[in-house]
Amino acid sequence: MTRYVMIADLNRCVGCQTCTAACKHTNATPPGVQWRKVLDVEIGDYPDVSRFFMPVGCQHCADPPCMHVCPSTATGQRDDGIVTIDYDLCIGCSYCAVACPYQARYKVDKPTYAYGETPMKNEVERFDERRLGVAQKCTFCSDRVDAGLEQGLKPGVDPDATPACVNSCIANALHFGDLEDEKSNVSELLAGNTWFQMHAELGTEPGFYYLWNKEP
Amino acid sequence: MDAQTKVSRKKVPTYCYQCVNGPDLLMVEVVNGVATTVTPNFNVKGDHPAEGKVCVKPYGLIQKLYNPNRLLKPMKRTNPEKGRDQDPGWQEISWDEALDTVAARLKAIRDKGLVDENGDPRFAFTTGGAGTPMFYAGTMGAFLGAWGPIDMSLGAGGTVKCYHSEHVFGELWHRAFTVLPDTPRCEYVLSFGNNIDASGGVTSVFRQANARARGWKRIQFEPHLSVTGAKASEWIPIRTKTDSAVLFALIHVLLHEHRTDELDVPFLKQRTASPYLLAPNGYYLRDAATRKPLLWDLKSNRAVPFDTPGTDPALEGTRLIEHAIEIGADDEQWEHRGIQAHTAHDQLKHHVAKFTPEWAGPISDVPAATIRRIANEFLKAAKIGATHTVKGRVLPLRPVAVMLGKSINNGWGAYECVWARTIMQVLVGALEVPGGMLGSASTIVGPDWDRWASVRAGEDGFMELPFCPTDRAHWVNERGMRHASSMLTPMVGNGFYGPLLGSSTLTWMRLQGRAAGSWSKPKPPDVWFVYKCNPSISFSETSRLGETIAQFPFMVGFAYTLDETNHFADLLLPEAMDLESDQLIRLGGTNYLEQQWEAEGWVLRQKVVEPQGEARDFSWICTELARRTGMLEQYNAVINAGGCGIPLKTPAYDFALKENEPHHPDEIWDAVCKAASADLTAGKDVCDLDWFKEHGFKLRPFSSLRWYLYPIIEDLGLRFELPYQERVFRTGKQLGNRLHETGVDWWEKQLQEYESMPEWKDLNQLWDTLLEKNYPVKAGDFPFWLLGARSMQYAWGGNVGIQMIREVAGNVAGHDGILINAGKARELGIEENDWVEIKSPVGVAHGKARLRQGIRPDVVVMIGQFGHWKTPYAKDFKTPSLNDLVPMHPDFLDGSGSSVDATKVSVHRVEVTA
Repeated sequence: MTRYVMIADLNRCVGCQTCTAACKHTNATPPGVQWRKVLDVEIGDYPDVSRFFMPVGCQHCADPPCMHVCPSTATGQRDDGIVTIDYDLCIGCSYCAVACPYQARYKVDKPTYAYGETPMKNEVERFDERRLGVAQKCTFCSDRVDAGLEQGLKPGVDPDATPACVNSCIANALHFGDLEDEKSNVSELLAGNTWFQMHAELGTEPGFYYLWNKEP
Repeated sequence: MDAQTKVSRKKVPTYCYQCVNGPDLLMVEVVNGVATTVTPNFNVKGDHPAEGKVCVKPYGLIQKLYNPNRLLKPMKRTNPEKGRDQDPGWQEISWDEALDTVAARLKAIRDKGLVDENGDPRFAFTTGGAGTPMFYAGTMGAFLGAWGPIDMSLGAGGTVKCYHSEHVFGELWHRAFTVLPDTPRCEYVLSFGNNIDASGGVTSVFRQANARARGWKRIQFEPHLSVTGAKASEWIPIRTKTDSAVLFALIHVLLHEHRTDELDVPFLKQRTASPYLLAPNGYYLRDAATRKPLLWDLKSNRAVPFDTPGTDPALEGTRLIEHAIEIGADDEQWEHRGIQAHTAHDQLKHHVAKFTPEWAGPISDVPAATIRRIANEFLKAAKIGATHTVKGRVLPLRPVAVMLGKSINNGWGAYECVWARTIMQVLVGALEVPGGMLGSASTIVGPDWDRWASVRAGEDGFMELPFCPTDRAHWVNERGMRHASSMLTPMVGNGFYGPLLGSSTLTWMRLQGRAAGSWSKPKPPDVWFVYKCNPSISFSETSRLGETIAQFPFMVGFAYTLDETNHFADLLLPEAMDLESDQLIRLGGTNYLEQQWEAEGWVLRQKVVEPQGEARDFSWICTELARRTGMLEQYNAVINAGGCGIPLKTPAYDFALKENEPHHPDEIWDAVCKAASADLTAGKDVCDLDWFKEHGFKLRPFSSLRWYLYPIIEDLGLRFELPYQERVFRTGKQLGNRLHETGVDWWEKQLQEYESMPEWKDLNQLWDTLLEKNYPVKAGDFPFWLLGARSMQYAWGGNVGIQMIREVAGNVAGHDGILINAGKARELGIEENDWVEIKSPVGVAHGKARLRQGIRPDVVVMIGQFGHWKTPYAKDFKTPSLNDLVPMHPDFLDGSGSSVDATKVSVHRVEVTA
């Protein structure tokens, strides 16, 4: 079995938003939609303050609340753990967006462009009508993963089989790989570091781990 | 897209140089002729210090390319009245008309004479982005080179508002136009406001993340918790502009609370001027016969010239010197007999004796115990005695570094800081050795990709670095440019970059008739080219600067969109942008901050897609201007001589262009590609433009030994010119003499800064004094410091009008407002999202309050540079800029002509929404 997960090393992340931008490029998301983004967080009161940067997005939970509430079975889960949305089945009810504890889902009802009503050439080229009126979110770049696997490449190792945000990360804070493979990059990182999962108490078993040298 | 549709898809290699940390290599995916996606270029992974990654900015290039707000046709002004409130009445014209108009103006200058009656160049060229636009400007360098005298002093903010003192003194001391830790080996960094994780580009972020992962320690002294502070081991919210107090106290601890033999004594004795003996009038004590500085040899127990073989120099102690001379400024010379003399090291110890941690604590808000602890940690972490082998050569390993940020590196107090932090390095032998503090680029003397290439023996045992002459025989009593850099700021030198380090602040104030009183008010240039910059946003007192620009007779804006500077232009020429034109530039070696490569070579920026509209390749524009101005042969000659980065003809190869005919940009860059590859491979592998278009770059090995200056300094038997600044002191005296001889009496404060060891200044008090002296205000009415902070998403990028950049930058706190301490804000009745008014003695700005905990209660921060009122998209941000609030006044200029990028302000909640 395979279970793809992502790891964000909070000691490395500088909040630069390169991953945010790379995701927007690769997935052609419209203005305001960020399947991947990095939060800028403060803890404590002056002068005892910590500031850290936290990449967020769909956590690809093992037990995804979004999937359970989906009335049309549009939200599904692949054998490799990636949580999917079938745009053809989605009725745009947004139950999933409400159910998601990670605020990872978006819905856009009409075409939106960077500069007003008229799309730029790249927006015309990349426009995908299927995304209108349906839920959308991070796919772990499953199309890249699948295309890479077809070429015999290894997700998380070979760039052409790896999510764009991971490829782009200039601090090597983001990692992707197979949790079921105990020799994978992600398994070794989790074995060698302290980590947490967001809202772990909810029992969703996120497929997104945060390396952190102390509890947030 | 319909699966049946035939899709053409290709990936095109190019580079991004939208900030000083470039170039970074990227791939652009082009689908059906449309550029759609940017990705890293993993083909350079094995050579690039950050594995071929690119930062967030190049992802904005696609929108930058297709931005509907771009200007895509030449336009001329039809309203002769210029002003912020005037409609320029832009009218589209043909390229022929536009170029002929410019050429006529340029020819008129050539007919009248290249300089005006004041001796100032009639033609001025301004760019920004710390010079990075030249990596987009194609053959512009050749055009400028062919022209003759050009005024480069109408700055857009670079250098004087940047790391100015680090540039000037860093280059002098260790070929460090920019300074970096040897991050892969460093273990302990003291960072005074150095915001490297936002300003250091991909390679800095990448290498420093690795350093954190292996457990290095970085202490961040900074009034607010910046991005870099967030990644530090410890944040110390130091009081603004008191960094030098802490640095002096750190030195005090090393020198007065530790034995001398705990320091790196061999380094101090052999590689610095610490043992040089000082004479009564402030200069070195010199041997009467050889005129060389003397040191006391413990072996022979006598004073000998510094370069006497086999000596054991005394670092400390006062000695009786029977006979020696002292050489001062100009004709001054003294003969000394039977005098007591002490070493530069002793002078340093004496200099910092009073700067105890207990003294610095109340000044800086950093507890004395913390200062003492950090000094001791620094000393311990330096591992004095340890070694590291680089390419077979055993070198000292001293894994400590002191880094400084932007507002510490300019204006009053900056000299103290750059000197003190370099002294910290010197005391533990951590300058230019593995693990320690290094320079990366050498710009004043260059070449900037290989610092070893400029290391030559100069006078008194130090590296040569020619200042502009200040002695009576050689001083040139000509301003050259409107800021008179060679007259007033001799340390910047007379090289290509020197004028760019001069005081552009002084130029603007002179044009406004409020500086340099004994000199007549200069005329504006007859023709002013403005390229990839926006000084009426990025300089200081920007509203007033706009009024000044409005007086210029003829301005050509090479325009991307309408903006706050080209609003005053007479002609707008739309140039092809980043992804629409070709240029070959150098890659690798060592370059700016943490661009430290084990390879060097060349990389191509290429036309990924055809230019939009009538935008034209800048090289084509330059060739046409040269042709229409009658300068074609000179222009081509400069290209052949190396105007595009490398000569096209040498004894080893010949790709020279015919000089009497115009050449298409493809032809020019094809020749440059061939010359560069021939040079790189000793003629074995000549690659043309098509080869570079396919492969993107070409490299050969570059030894990492050349990252460090220590080996070549040792090989040449040289010393770092520290701790005593005899040359600076003498230069200041001579400069004072020259200026006084010519009736200049308004540069006195600046002359005082030419100190052999800088005195500590209370900058908070100085600011209060200068504000009350020069403006009708009470200093107490401005209790806050207004500081800026780097935005990685925007800095240098010329991308303020890009929607995606705005969107992703919004995830980083402060991009849409003013950062203020949450507790202090509530004391003032300010809540999150309230409008606040920030007022300085010269300006006022409004923005939304962003309450944060990670900021001192006496500080407010504005990120980046906004305040746009014309640039499409950006003009709707309602995000303020500190620039309009920062006073330009001669009193704020330091000895090198720069002023701090900060100001004292008041803060109030206001009921406004616009």
